[in-house]
Order: sequence, then structure tokens, then C-alpha cells
Amino acid sequence: MRKGWLRDYILKRLLYSLIIAWGILTVTFILVRVGPSSPADKYLANIAARGQDPSQVIAAIEARYGLDKPVLQQYGEYIFNLLRGNWGWSLSTSMPVIELIKHHWIYSFQLILLSSLFAAIIGILIGIYSAVKQYTKADYAFTFLSFIGISIPNFWLGVMLILVFSVKLGLFKTYYDTTLPLFSLANLKALTLPVITLGTGMLAAYVRYTRSAMLDNLRKPFVTTARAKGLPEHIVIGKHVFRNALLPLVTIIMFDLGSIVFGGAYLTEIVFGIPGLGQVSFNAIFANDYPVVVAITLIGTLVVLLVNLVTDIAYTYLDPRIRYE
Amino acid sequence: MQSYSRNNIILRVNDLKTYFFTRRGVVKAVDGVSFELRQGECLCLVGESGCGKSVTALSILRLFDSPPGRIVGGTVVYNSTDLASCPDQELRKVRGKEIALILQEAQSALNPVLTIGDQIIEQMKIHLPLSTDEARFKAINLLREMGIPSAEDVLNYYPHQLSGGMKQRVLVTMSLCCDPKILIADEPTTAVDVTIKAQVLDMFHQLKTKRQMSLIFITHDLAVVAEIGDRAVVMYGGRDVETAPVSEIISAPAHPYTAGLLECLPDLSREMSRLNSIPGMPPDPSKMPPGCTFHPRCPKMIDICRTQEPPLAEISKEHKVRCHLYA
Repeated sequence: MRKGWLRDYILKRLLYSLIIAWGILTVTFILVRVGPSSPADKYLANIAARGQDPSQVIAAIEARYGLDKPVLQQYGEYIFNLLRGNWGWSLSTSMPVIELIKHHWIYSFQLILLSSLFAAIIGILIGIYSAVKQYTKADYAFTFLSFIGISIPNFWLGVMLILVFSVKLGLFKTYYDTTLPLFSLANLKALTLPVITLGTGMLAAYVRYTRSAMLDNLRKPFVTTARAKGLPEHIVIGKHVFRNALLPLVTIIMFDLGSIVFGGAYLTEIVFGIPGLGQVSFNAIFANDYPVVVAITLIGTLVVLLVNLVTDIAYTYLDPRIRYE
Repeated sequence: MQSYSRNNIILRVNDLKTYFFTRRGVVKAVDGVSFELRQGECLCLVGESGCGKSVTALSILRLFDSPPGRIVGGTVVYNSTDLASCPDQELRKVRGKEIALILQEAQSALNPVLTIGDQIIEQMKIHLPLSTDEARFKAINLLREMGIPSAEDVLNYYPHQLSGGMKQRVLVTMSLCCDPKILIADEPTTAVDVTIKAQVLDMFHQLKTKRQMSLIFITHDLAVVAEIGDRAVVMYGGRDVETAPVSEIISAPAHPYTAGLLECLPDLSREMSRLNSIPGMPPDPSKMPPGCTFHPRCPKMIDICRTQEPPLAEISKEHKVRCHLYA
């Protein structure tokens, strides 16, 4: 199919994405600064102990970080630096923000990627099976289990998994071991419980979505045509029905990917002590480490926008009827 | 005028019963249908909607939804195999290869997210020892033969890029791609407009004459039957009520229902203010009336019709009817 219009569409969407990212960056930048707390707060106890004047010390610290300047000027300088590739300096860890992110992103990335794959592959397979065997005992069992899976909060599941499999059975360590090489079986094993924790809710939801998307298409006339052609059942289901069910599934899987970047992965990282960006931003928020908070929010925003764009492009290949103006 | 030989029976459907077991009860969609298809003929299944024509067609290849549907009795014999009871694997070798089926809804019978080429070629690759290129070449030739211009391009199209008439042609192409012996077409003239209808009928006529195919043509339109059919099976309430050569069905209908259907045809030679219709509705297949299922609507009803099912009566060797008037 000729898709010349798609290139224009992508360019237009990239432009919109930049504008949205800039808007979110601006809001975040201002919000963290209008709050009542300050990066100097953590020194207050020491100051009081030494009998110094807190206001003088706070002023000195804020002056050192440039926080005494007008917000607009700070904002202008931040944007100027950002455009030159300078993400600023982390106040709480005393290192460039970019170094901090470079060091930690891979832990979040591997967790999110493996959890999504785990949830999508197993969820879709069970969903297809449930739809094909609709109203059998297996279907009812999977339906029941998936409702449990959807209902369990993932931080609770994480703690329970640690209690049972790490503490009681001793099969896994109770925390994530950062010394393991990334591409090793030991690392994969260490990620087992975190991936189950983060993936179970999504997996259970994908079972439901896959089942209903498959059922929507299973009784369509083109399925009878496919059978009338003498195609074996695995092609009828796996190709003809599944290709039509894929569109709503891609929508929901990509949406989830966006939301765990901001939410789910964060809690899982904290429960298992995984030093990913979720934990970094968690610490940064409590330390009022403004540059890190803003940077990680911006990265999350860019990831979500990119995921959305990829989803919309994927639609045009999954359903040839879709065309964007 | 018929070129077929009486002994050359290619498919024999005998007392076929397909029931649907739903929560609201058993729906006897097909309840004892018998007919035979002869080599090279066009056999029409005629009747109002809900009389079991489509389910009969689907039952030949066991394509109805199961559950809830099930063949509860009878046989469908092709090449000394009973398609109603053979294993799925054997049936799959017949589907699309020996017996092809064109569904009623041409608009939704093609998969919307796969290209036309993919949908035709995948079938050939299952049944025939062809490479993708060879299958592609054959598909292009067949599409051309069906009167589709720029066939190479059409292979890369998706169904939504084709008109209704083109989709119908693609479906016929698809059904022919493995050179089946029998083609079953379910209401192929219903969803298309009048000009296309003539083209579609012409296309089926050519299949019969040029390819010597045996056709089962399902329609509710007796005018279409007169145009294309050699013999006709009139169906009512899930049963075959009259079987005869088309010329006899038209000129000397035996069953009161067949006569009623003919009355419904508009006669352009007479002034008519409104069209005739058979009074009443076809029976609900989950609540069939006792006796002859047509008796509540029958103008020639006699007492026995209420209680006893009519036996099959032979008016001549070629003309059979299920009606007490002839018993």
C-alpha cells in the first residue's frame, strides 16, 4: 500500500509531541518550585544543632544552586542548557543528571520490557484459548483467575511473593542484586518475582481483552469463509481471527506500557529494591532534587508520547482501513 | 435439454437433520432433507427465509457454529465418504478442494485485514502442490477470467477497496482456485443490485457450461431459479417439500407451497395493484406445527394434514412431493 501520507502524519505528530512535552516540562518545572519545601530542608536539623541561623544557611544553599534567581530566569537557563544537551546537576547526589539517568535507566527498562512481554504473551495465549473454548470449565477457571489477578494490588503481591518464595522457601533473594551482569540467567532469575509482580495485573487484563476481542470476531462470516476454504483450525484462529482481534489489544497493551512507565514499575522497584528510574525519582522528590524530578518526568513524557505514536503507526499496518488525515 | 445423466450422482444428501441446541430449546433448522446433485447440473434450493436453505448448505461441509449446532441424523455422501460423520481432517481436504462454498454475505465474507492475494493464495497452498509464485500466477489468470480488470493490482488490495460486485467476483475466484467439483452458492444474487445480478447469474451460467461444474444454488427468487436452474428443491420448515425439474416446478407445481411461491411473482403482463403473498409466516423452527408444517398456511388443507406428516409421493420419476393430496 502506498503510504506517502503517513510520512507527513508522523512529522506532524512529532511536532505535536514536542509541544506537549514542552508544556509538561514547563508545568513540572514551575510546580516543584512553588512548593513550600526546598532542597536545603535536609540540612535544617544540622543547622539547628549547630545553633546557626536557618534562614541565612538556606539562602546560602539556594544561592549556590541558583534557586534565588527569579523562576522565569531559572526556567530560561534550564531550557537553554537542555537544548545544548545539558540536563543539569543533581542536588542530592552531586552528579550530573544525565549520568544518574545513564546509570539507572536500564534497570527500569529491563523490568518494564520483561513484564510487558510476560503479560502480553501469556495473557494473549490464555485469552485465545478461553475464547475458543468459551463456556467450558477451563474458560470459567481462567475467567475467575483473571478477575483475581486484576484485583490484586501489585505492591501487596510483591510483598507476598517475597514472603513465600524468598523468606519461606528461600528460592530467591529478598532484594534485587545489582552486581549481576545484565545479560545473564542469574539476572533473569533475580527479575522473576518483580516481573510477576508487575506483570500479573496486566496479564489478567489481557486475558479478558483477548477473550472478548476474539469472541467479537469468531462468529464473523469471513471466519466461515476461511473454514470453507479448508484451512486448518490453527490458521483460522491464529491468522484470520487473531489478526482482527489484534487492534484493540495493541491499543490496551501500549496504553499499559505508558502507564507502568509512570506508575506500576515505580512501586515494584521500591518493593524489590531495584535501582531504576522509579526509585531515583522517588528519592529525588523527597530530597527536593528539582533537576532530577523534572528530567525523569520529561523522559517519562517522551516515552509515553513515542509509544502513542508507534501505536498509531502500527494501527495502519494492522488495519488497512485506517487512514489519518 | 439437460446434459446431465441421471445416474451420475456426485453428492447425495439423505435425511439430513441439523439441530441447534440453544437455551430456549432445540431449533430444528434442518429436519430431514434429502436430495441428490448430479454431475454438471445446477440444483436450486428454494424457499422463504428461515426455511433451512442456508443451514442445509452449511451442513454439507459442517460449517455451522458448533456448539450449539449438531448434525443429529442423516448422511451427506460424496465420493463414498459420509461428510456428516467423517473426521475433521478428512473433511478439511474436501472443503475448498472438492466442494467450495460461497457465503451469503459477500460484503463481510472476506477478511478485512488481509489482502485479496493472501486470501486466495493461502487456499491454493493448502490444497495444491504450488509455489507462491505459481499460485499467484494462477490467481491472476482466474481473476482475469472472472472479468476483473488489472488483476495484478487487485491481489494487493484489501476488501474495503473493492466494490460489492468485485467482492462477489473475488469470492467466486477464491472458490474456484482449487478446481472444485461442486460449488455451493448461498444467495449470491441477493446482496447485489439488479445490473450486477445479471452479471453474477451470467458468471454462474458460464461455470456450468465452460467448466462442467455441479452447482447448488440457493435462492428465494423463483425468477432466478427459472433462469439458471436445472432442477429445484423447494424447502419449507427444514424439509424438502418438492423436488422436480425447474420447468415442471414453474409450469406444474404440485405442492400448495410451491404454487403459493409462484403466485407471489410479479406478472408484468397483467395490471396488478399489489403483489400476492402467502398468508401467515414461516414456522418458528423451535416450535414446528404437528403434521405437515405448512398446514396452518395451506389453502388446500385437509384434516389429516393437522396430525400426520405427509409421506414422499412420486408424481413421476423426476417429480417428488411431500403432500397428503398426492399420497
